[in-house]
Amino acid sequence: MTGAAWAVKRLARQPLRTGLSLAGIAVAAAMLLDMVMLSGGIDRSFSDLLLGRGYQMRLTPKGTLPFDTEATIRGASAIVAALRREPALEAAGAVLGTSLYARRGDSLITLFAYGLQPEAQSLYQLQAGRDLASGAGAGVLLSEPAARLLGAGIGDTLTLVGRLDPQVVTAAAGRRLVVRGMVRWLYDYRGQPSVGMVLSDLQRLSSSPAEDRASMIVVKARQDSAVPGLVTALRRRFPSVEVSSVADLVATFHERLVYFRQLSYILGSMSLIVTVLLIATLLTIAVGERLGEIATLRAIGVSRRTVVGQVLAEGTALTIVGGGLGIGLGLATARYLDAILTSFPGLPAAFSFFVPRAGALAFAALVLLLTGSLAGLYPAWLAARTPIAATLRAEAT
Amino acid sequence: MTPTLIARDLRKDYPMNGETVHALRGVSLRVDSGDYAAIVGPSGSGKSTLLQLLGGIDTPTAGAVELSGTRLDALSDRELTRLRLTRLGFVFQRFHLLPVLTARENVELPMAEAGVRGPERRVRARELLDYVGLAQRENHRATQLSGGEMQRVAIARALANRPAVVLADEPTGELDAATGREILDLFLRLNRDGTTLVVVTHDDRLAAEAGRVIHMLDGAIRD
Ligand SMILES: Nc1ncnc2c1ncn2[C@@H]1O[C@H](COP(=O)(O)OP(=O)(O)O)[C@@H](O)[C@H]1O
Ligand SMILES: [Mg+2]
Repeated sequence: MTGAAWAVKRLARQPLRTGLSLAGIAVAAAMLLDMVMLSGGIDRSFSDLLLGRGYQMRLTPKGTLPFDTEATIRGASAIVAALRREPALEAAGAVLGTSLYARRGDSLITLFAYGLQPEAQSLYQLQAGRDLASGAGAGVLLSEPAARLLGAGIGDTLTLVGRLDPQVVTAAAGRRLVVRGMVRWLYDYRGQPSVGMVLSDLQRLSSSPAEDRASMIVVKARQDSAVPGLVTALRRRFPSVEVSSVADLVATFHERLVYFRQLSYILGSMSLIVTVLLIATLLTIAVGERLGEIATLRAIGVSRRTVVGQVLAEGTALTIVGGGLGIGLGLATARYLDAILTSFPGLPAAFSFFVPRAGALAFAALVLLLTGSLAGLYPAWLAARTPIAATLRAEAT
Repeated sequence: MTPTLIARDLRKDYPMNGETVHALRGVSLRVDSGDYAAIVGPSGSGKSTLLQLLGGIDTPTAGAVELSGTRLDALSDRELTRLRLTRLGFVFQRFHLLPVLTARENVELPMAEAGVRGPERRVRARELLDYVGLAQRENHRATQLSGGEMQRVAIARALANRPAVVLADEPTGELDAATGREILDLFLRLNRDGTTLVVVTHDDRLAAEAGRVIHMLDGAIRD
């Protein structure tokens, strides 16, 4: 007959009350869990996304972030060639992102296009068909939404058009490219119709190839630990562009999301407070109802310590069971909320707002357990200071 | 006979609306090992107050209680609690069993608190329930028992740690005559088997059977 077993028995004797309290604690715990996942989840998800193919650095037009603006870097190939000669670097590749049109009968369909260097690409995972080969005219890659929109598949030939002539609203001459493979673009939002081709093909379609424009250059170091030093070195070497590590980008992102995090801290703290109030209220009522029983126990020689332990054990039992239910509820609501949030246009579909991280979850569980157990302190103190003789006398009348 | 319980000039005042109620006005008393003492007297004469002071549940305004040579006022709160656990047994008018526990668990409770190990505790609880005639009821919850059965469980609980004295406050007060009779018989048997008993009662039968009757009136013993 341990204290915990006793606490559970007592709680089980009031199934309705205990059930309602557990439901309340579970909801509060779920909220805490979601807020903990939210507070660090976005950063983590962002970092995971950027490091998806192992490229730890980005070169962008001065004063911009990747795909932040329409600005581009000129003479990209020369920079890439220089980077590829660096022994500490494993790979470097230029990327151009722009809009493009596909001719289908008389109409033009708007697409998003990636121009890339297949030997150093950081943008997609091949899902079917063949990858692009290097060199011009290698073909085109489609995402699932693009294939659906165009009604095209592997082996089909697409006619792609770059700039529209604003005077006549007819397209300049296009290029015919064969669909090589189906890919999943890492940074696409849900349903984004994106196509990919070799950089030089896209440059020819969208602008003057002589300018050799790219939106960004991705760089992979051989060793993660060398990245900070390399960033410094590259900044000195290429003063005309912005050089950032993924860690820098995450830090910038982190800054921009400060309100998001504050919100999650506040809501998380509120759910903790709700948990404490719930448990404290329940136990205070329970102790109040049991003063006679407590006085009896004290009279027959049960120590204050045992009585306090009983009350705290009840609080702990409620926290553990309610918190356990809250984990399930929290994960379910996080998934649901994530689905809503990531369907916002412009957000990469692979992005996640609620990311369960073992350390943070363990921390939340610990804080919950601690506060839940501490919530029993006031009722336990009430129980401990119950006057024995007076309470027994009051019970007898 | 060696004295088990000694009370010396016990006084107990209660403050009440700015006045003082003198519940006990100097009570001296000696209970020897093996005694069966009944405390009788009109309502409000101080019987319960006396029993609470004898049992170390409350402290006197003046005077002292000594149990087997130990002065209770010399003990710390923790020591006094321990003494109540191991040296005294209590039986209440309203039984005061723990409703969530079974009969056996109720009897085991003081032993668990005293640190008696599980298997030993269970064996002794069964013996005691058998002794009070409730062997068949050991796994019943306290709430599933009749009043007489509850009081017998309470008596078994009071005996759990082999106390020097069992103190009972109106143990038949909530029971009908026939059930009360059974409890009286149990007390007689207990006393015959060596248990020292001090029982506050309104029950004339109990007073008639007890070895000693202490009459109280207005906070004092009337000779
Ligand atoms: N806590 C208390 N506060 C004030 N008066 C009390 C208190 N406890 C007992 N009394 C008074 O002390 C007297 C003796 O009470 P009690 O010992 O209960 O008598 P009995 O058990 O003989 O009926 C009564 O007048 C009662 O009202
Ligand atoms: Mg009384």
